[in-house]
Amino acid sequence: MAAGPYNYSYIFKYIIIGDMGVGKSCLLHQFTEKKFMADCPHTIGVEFGTRIIEVSGQKIKLQIWDTAGQERFRAVTRSYYRGAAGALMVYDITRRSTYNHLSSWLTDARNLTNPNTVIFLIGNKSDLEAQRDVTYEEAKQFADENGLMFLECSAKTGDNVEDAFLDTAKKIYQNIQDGSLDLNAAESGVQHKPATPRSAISTDQAPSKEGCAC
Amino acid sequence: METIINDVVDPRDIKKFELIYLDQQRHGPVSEKTQFEYAWCLVRSRYLDDMKKGVALLEDLFHKSRPDDSSRRDYLFYLAIGYTKTKEYETALKYVKALLKIEPENHQAKELKKLINDKLNKEGFLGMAIVGGATIAVVGGLVGLGIALAKKSS
Repeated sequence: MAAGPYNYSYIFKYIIIGDMGVGKSCLLHQFTEKKFMADCPHTIGVEFGTRIIEVSGQKIKLQIWDTAGQERFRAVTRSYYRGAAGALMVYDITRRSTYNHLSSWLTDARNLTNPNTVIFLIGNKSDLEAQRDVTYEEAKQFADENGLMFLECSAKTGDNVEDAFLDTAKKIYQNIQDGSLDLNAAESGVQHKPATPRSAISTDQAPSKEGCAC
Repeated sequence: METIINDVVDPRDIKKFELIYLDQQRHGPVSEKTQFEYAWCLVRSRYLDDMKKGVALLEDLFHKSRPDDSSRRDYLFYLAIGYTKTKEYETALKYVKALLKIEPENHQAKELKKLINDKLNKEGFLGMAIVGGATIAVVGGLVGLGIALAKKSS
């Protein structure tokens, strides 16, 4: 892998929010390490992860801040919302209370980010179908009513995890392309990196999607 | 973990949580939550004095907490972060080890411990390099003196 200082054209900042124990850190871990982290203790404060992805032939570095779900961290973790280009809002499909709290998380996300921040709703633990407590249809309706993108995922099997992170990036990239996201705005959550002279690979590549369904 | 160590708080946040802290202090005892929030902001400040104040507030919380208090791991983690930032790595290591006693599999703690050890090794090596450099300078000086004396005597 050709590792240069600017091996990517953009940096997108993401935050992951939601109740304690819904699997935020496991989603991050699955996305960055392609592994499931079993028996993960509650996050202390915030965690951070990165991964370089490709959207429409552009390399994009995702800088992901994973916030602790415990109430005691909530006031301070709010400062991490600032300047996020994408917000992944997670609930647990087997615990209704985590779904019921979404409106409170959404209020924070709306108030503390900019109007162009892409908010993606994730119903995690889709592998636990037998214990389901929130139907897909109900959550889909909530997402539609609030203009959110939505997928059910499983951090355990990896199902749909890539898509949630990538679809968010595609939407942000689209907002840049159509001019609705102003890169010069102070807290757009996107940084544009100077292009490095690249060897001639200019064939229009489809976004890379490593189908890991392990 | 390097990013977490280098993560700097927005001064507006220090101000915000400081006001809550000072307000509570004026009206009676400060709640654990308020003290923790203020301390967490302070250890992420870019200023050494703030970091030291944050660490002192966390130590106070830790000593007042009961042994079974679930928030102890949070204090220990941020104490280790605080002391890493003030470059007091031995103390930082002590706190992160105490955290690993409570949660041996905590990957945040494991990563932090590795980072502190890396810093200790690196700075220990730098220390040796400085001493080594001084030795070369002294030897160089003596050689120079010898040459000067030799020239004088000739």
